[in-house]
Amino acid sequence: MAIQKQYYRRKKVCKFCVERIDSINYKDVKLLSQFVPERAKIMPRRISGVCTPHQRLLSDAIKKARNIALLPFATE
Amino acid sequence: MRNYEIMFIVSPDGTEEDIDKINGQIEGVITAGGGKVDKIEKIGKRRLAYIVKKFREGAYVLFTAQADGAIVKEVERRLRVMDLVIKYLTVRMDDDMKRLDKIKAHRQKRAAHRSRARNEGGDRRQQPPPEQMVEE
Repeated sequence: MAIQKQYYRRKKVCKFCVERIDSINYKDVKLLSQFVPERAKIMPRRISGVCTPHQRLLSDAIKKARNIALLPFATE
Repeated sequence: MRNYEIMFIVSPDGTEEDIDKINGQIEGVITAGGGKVDKIEKIGKRRLAYIVKKFREGAYVLFTAQADGAIVKEVERRLRVMDLVIKYLTVRMDDDMKRLDKIKAHRQKRAAHRSRARNEGGDRRQQPPPEQMVEE
């Protein structure tokens, strides 16, 4: 009966919770750059699936990294 | 006393000796103020993510130190004055360290609790079946 299409959407999980990464350090460019897409914006939680407490730490770390030129503020 | 990380970028014009000289000066400022330098790490040349003072790359140096507000203020003033230092950042680390210790302690407690439950689960209580005890 259900005509409505059933999309199977995989539940997103927080990378930091799953891999038990406690410290999100501003020096860890490799980790942080996974959460800054091309335009150098911070990836929103709705896309990355990171939980709220970790997103807060993550965005703080990204902002620190930007300040010391490890990550860009914006790209052309 | 608090834990700080002071990171700064030396312009690519600066030689290895220049960097050592700057490090010596900063270390002097910290120890003179009653602080303690835990680590000096020369991370080396890196491409900057954006142009800073017309430079595209720079040599990163990281200080880990125990200091207080007055020392940090003085160090930052010195860094601002130095021509070779193109950018700096001071980050307080003790809050973060405290948080990590807490998580670590919590995790250890939980692990200990779990292993105990697994070992004694069968004998202590008969009512819940052992499988359930193991699960959580």
